[in-house]
Parts: sequence; structure tokens; C-alpha cells
Amino acid sequence: MRFRSQFVAYPYFAVALILFGLQMVFGLLLAVKYLGPDPIMSWMPFNTAKAIHTNLLIVWVLAGFMGAAYYVVPEESRTEIYSVKLAYIQLIAWTLMGLTAVIGYMFEWTAGNKFLEQPFPLKIVIVIVMLMFLYNIGMTIYKAKRWTTTEAVLVAGLALAAILYLPALITYNNYTVSIYYRWWTIHLWVEGVWEMIQAGLLAYLLIRLSGADREMMEKWLYVIVGLVFIAGILGTAHHYYWIGVPAYWLPVGGIFSALEPLALFGMAMYAYFAMRRSGFGHPNQLALHWTIGSAIFTAFGAGLLGLAHTWPAVNKWTHGTLITPMHGHSAFFGAYVMIVLAVMTYAKPHLTGKKDESAETSLGIWAFWLQVGGMFGMTLAFGTAGITQTYLERIMGLGYIETQFKIQPHFLMLLATGFIFTAGVAAFIIDFFRDPPVPPSGGAHERGEAEPVTP
Amino acid sequence: MTKRQTRLFFIVGTALFALIFIAMTVDSHRQFPELTNAHLITEDVTEGKHVWHRKNCINCHTLLGEGAYFAPDLTKITQHRGEAYLTAFLQDPSQFYSDEVHRRLMPDPELDDTEIAQVIAFLDWVSKIDNQGWPPRPILVTSGPIGGMAGRSATDAVSNEPVALGQAVFNQPVPGCFACHSTAPGTAMVGPSMAGIGGRAEEIMASGDYTGSATDAESYIRESILEPNAYLVPGQTFSAGGVSFMPANTEDLLTPEEIDHLVAYLMTLR
Repeated sequence: MRFRSQFVAYPYFAVALILFGLQMVFGLLLAVKYLGPDPIMSWMPFNTAKAIHTNLLIVWVLAGFMGAAYYVVPEESRTEIYSVKLAYIQLIAWTLMGLTAVIGYMFEWTAGNKFLEQPFPLKIVIVIVMLMFLYNIGMTIYKAKRWTTTEAVLVAGLALAAILYLPALITYNNYTVSIYYRWWTIHLWVEGVWEMIQAGLLAYLLIRLSGADREMMEKWLYVIVGLVFIAGILGTAHHYYWIGVPAYWLPVGGIFSALEPLALFGMAMYAYFAMRRSGFGHPNQLALHWTIGSAIFTAFGAGLLGLAHTWPAVNKWTHGTLITPMHGHSAFFGAYVMIVLAVMTYAKPHLTGKKDESAETSLGIWAFWLQVGGMFGMTLAFGTAGITQTYLERIMGLGYIETQFKIQPHFLMLLATGFIFTAGVAAFIIDFFRDPPVPPSGGAHERGEAEPVTP
Repeated sequence: MTKRQTRLFFIVGTALFALIFIAMTVDSHRQFPELTNAHLITEDVTEGKHVWHRKNCINCHTLLGEGAYFAPDLTKITQHRGEAYLTAFLQDPSQFYSDEVHRRLMPDPELDDTEIAQVIAFLDWVSKIDNQGWPPRPILVTSGPIGGMAGRSATDAVSNEPVALGQAVFNQPVPGCFACHSTAPGTAMVGPSMAGIGGRAEEIMASGDYTGSATDAESYIRESILEPNAYLVPGQTFSAGGVSFMPANTEDLLTPEEIDHLVAYLMTLR
């Protein structure tokens, strides 16, 4: 850590991790409900628990992104953050918004729109918080009059994420039209601008961890982000299957969804070549695990498993089955959870006043492998359940209820692997909070004013 | 390639495909009214959509295949279940499914009768959206033990015999007899099982409880199809308040010949 104000990332990471832990509680609850019967249905039905599960994810991952940006931007622009106070106010507002949403859902205060359940007043709070964040980051870069491609990609991703949230504020009487624009937010987030954020963070971490040549890394960063959008924008079409839009979205979705893995495999190659060129010499081996892991798991979960059901002739049968959460869980974990945990692991020694070597604890390594293994198992559980469901329900014509009963063994597997994953999350959280945060002293501040040394 | 070139690739590529996307969006808007029957979006449909959102239905069910995967897809539900059934179900779902048998229940949505009518109107509008014929075959809520035949089209009839044609009518998506009536013995899905109906019809008429005007098994089956309320078979999920859950509009959905074939087929189930 070269700049005192980078420390503001710590509370962001802390809040993110606590909400991550809470998300797991609801995830396990949902898996139990799949098995049934459900004795708490009257006060915590599936739909409430699921809204909380997915919203906690969105809130904590975005908190992680913002914390990561507050950590990365000062280093890249070689300056202190414009207003640390604003960053704290923003975090408090964001956390309160998230908790209010979660509690609201328990009392049926919801917009009832998948992923965008936040009631309108909370949506306004989200917009305000995003504006505060962008103002703070924007002023930081503006005052420094210096920016790198890596941080520009990261910040542009976050700015576009805020802009793409705006369609969520408008409602339509025509359900098809409202779904159409819901995907402008959700798809263009997770298969567009969030990937831009991921790519920016990946570039930052690879440059720091491998010592790879910045010029080279940033050159290819543009190619990756370009591929993300070339495939991803029209790839939105795979969400427009069977919802009442013109038929030409079907071939467009098939072709551009098939191109989407290109950028994701590109990211994995990017990490591989950076490492091959420069070696695994960095002392923070755990951060290397998460960084490389993110690039590889993204290619698997988002790339390969996405492609598994985006071809229209396949999707016709799998649409609306458990094949979707198979892809959803592995994609979100690989692309966004792992990259945020990578930044946290990379920054942790600096935030706790330790040496880089200290990050590689055995608990930390356990956290990595339990999460990767658990998520791989959950992906298999959802996948096998989804394939069986597609065959029995969609092809054989067995009823929904009978089919769900027949795939109970897969739900047992889901619950078991979910516990393994949760154990990994718990290990990460314990490992992270084991060392108390050490705010930088005055000396560090002065050092921050000076020109930093290149790593 | 230089960094300047890759930046150009990123900017031009993104801008180009964003423009194509926006052009396709404009064209889609041109077609939305026709594809979605926008003229059928009445005040009830709009209010029903609000009920759908307010009750967070999407986080258990799917609609147009989108949502959660914990409860049945409702895209075509109003084609499989009549309004009377859906109303009674939404008033008290616990009367229809049990923890022991089905393992998965719907909580009481706590809707008043107006809201129920509105959400049914909304779902009925959804069922008519032109969505490229999805699902390719009907997705059933419940099927009994054998559902393999359900949902084939009438052209799948194995011959031109009335019975074969009637079986095809029974299994075709509209009116979707198979969605509520099993042909397996002892399996009541929503309506009574059709197994043995040819023989059972005579027993029912001989029982003394019979209130309709049929004179023999064949006219009884015909009467049950065309006037479901003429005689109500006792059963919790079959009727409420003297009204059968079976839709009374079958006559509008089938030609007289198709009804003849259907009766001929059902008469063979003994």
C-alpha cells in the first residue's frame, strides 16, 4: 500500500465478506427447501429467501468492486483518494440500502422483478450511491491528471454499470417489454460491463503479481474488452428467446452467444501467458491462486457452461430448467466472486501491516480449494438435475411435480456440496479477519505524497 | 498490433455492435404490439401484473421460462386449468397439494377475489403471446405416472379410425384434456382419472345421485365434456360451490366431429 487513503478498501471488503457469509445461510436454506418438506414456509417462503440470496450477492460483489476500485485507483493514478470521508458515507449508505432491502423482502416489500427486486426508493438510493462513488473516483483521477488503461477500463466498467441500472427504474405495462429492458441491466451487467471490471482487475493483479510488461498487458486488455462487447451486446439475444420478441433474435442469439466464450477463453490465455512469461515468483501465492483461478473458472462456468444452453435448438428444451442455475452459479463464482476475493487476498497483507508472504496461510489455501471444489460439485448437481429434468419433464412429458420428486438425489448432492462451499467461505472469512486491520501511520501518508517505486 | 490499434478495435467494435443492437431494439418495438397482443392488455391484465410482482411470484415460478425453478412454469397455465380451478387454487392452495405426497407446496398468497381474477387475466394474456411456439410441447404441472403421450398434435393419430383420432384430440395441446385427466387407474391429477370411464359412466348413472339428463354411457360422457356442471363427480379438487373446475368452453375449441371422436375414444377406456 503506497497511499494512505487506499485503506478505505478495508471496510468495503469487511462489509462485503460479512454479506457473503449471510448469503451462504440463505443459499443453504434454499437447498434444504428443494428437498422439502418446508416447515418454515409460512414465514420464510422460497421466494423471499431466494430474493435475499441473490440480492446479497449483488450488494456484496458491488461493494467488493467499489472497494477494489478505491484500492486500485490511487496506485494507478499515484495520488490519494479525493475524499475519504465521502467513501465512508457511501459505504454506510450502500450497506444500509442492502440491509433495508433484505429486511423489506421479509415483509413483502418488493418490486418482484428477478434480480431487480429493490423497491423504487431503494433503487434511487442505489443510483445516488453510484453517483457519489463515480464523483469521488472521477475527481481523484481528474486531480491527479494521470490515468492508466487498466484503471480506465475498471472505472469505465463501473460507470457503465451505473448507467445500465437506469432502465431498471422504468416500468412497462407490457410484460414482454419490461423483460426486454430488464435484461439491459442484468445481461449487459454480467456479460458486459462487469466483465470489463473483471478484466480491469485481472490486468491490475497480473501486472502486480507477475511483473508482466504493462504496455503488453494493456494492449491485450483492449482486445479482451473489445471481444466482450462484440459478442456480449448482441449476446443479450439469448435472453430474448421465447418471450414474445421477433424471431430474428433466435439466430442472432445463437451466433453471438457462441462467440461469447472467446473473450472468456481470451482472459484465461491472458493469465496463462502473463504467468508463463514472468513466472510464479510473487510471494503472495494465495492471491495468485485466486487470480488464475478466476480466469480459468470463468472460462469454464461462464464460457463453456453458458454455451451449453444458448443454442436456440437446445434452449428450446432446457429453457426454464435447472440448467440455468448450473450456469448461473458457476459463472458468477468464477467471474465475480473469485476476482473480488483475489483483490482482497492481494491487498490483505498491505491492509494489515504484514508482508506479502503472510497471505499464504493453510486456512487460506483450504478456503480456496473448498470453494472451488464445492462450487464444482454444486455445478454438477444443478447440471445433472437439469439434464434429468429436461428429459423427464420436457421430452417425456412427465409433470413438473413428479419430475422434481425424481431428481431428489441431485438436491441432496447440491446440499452436500453447498456445505463444502460454505465451509470454504467460512475459512476465507476467518482467515481475512484473523489479522486486525492496521491503518497507515503518518509516515505512510508522507510516503504516499512521494513518487512511488515501481514494483 | 500496437496499443493504439487494439484500442481502436475496442472502440469501433463496441460502437458498431451497440448500434446494431439499438437498431434491432427499434424494430422490435415496431413488432411488440402485434406479437404480444398489446390491444388485449386491459386494466385487469395490468393490475394482475402488479399482483404478480407484488407477491414476488417470479422467485418460485417461471413465466415465459424466466424466473426461479422451484415451482411450475405458468406460461400456458390458463390453457391447462380453467378459471374456476385457478380461482379455487389461489384461494387456498393447501386444498390441492400436500406435504406428504408432493413435497413442495405453495404458501397461501393471501389474495382477495378481485386480485385473483386480475392475476388470472394477466396469466391468460401471457398465454397468448406469440413466442415462437414455446414450449415445444406442454409443460405439465402434474402428470400422474405416465405422461409420455401427452401433448402430441392431432396429426399424430395412428389411423383415421374415430377412436385413434379421439385419442389424438385428448392428447393435443388445446384443449389439453391430458393436463388434468390421467388415463392411469386411480390417478386423480386435477380431474378424475379417465381410466375405466366407459364402464364407470353406467355405474354413475345407476347410482341415484346422478342429476344430469344423459340416458346412456355415451351421452353421459358427451354431457360431461360440453356441460361440466350438469353432474359433479364428488372430489375436493374437482369442483367448488356447485361449479365444476372443468372449463365449459370445450365446445368452442373443438369441432363437432372432434367431440364425436373424443367420446368414441373415452368409451373405449374400460
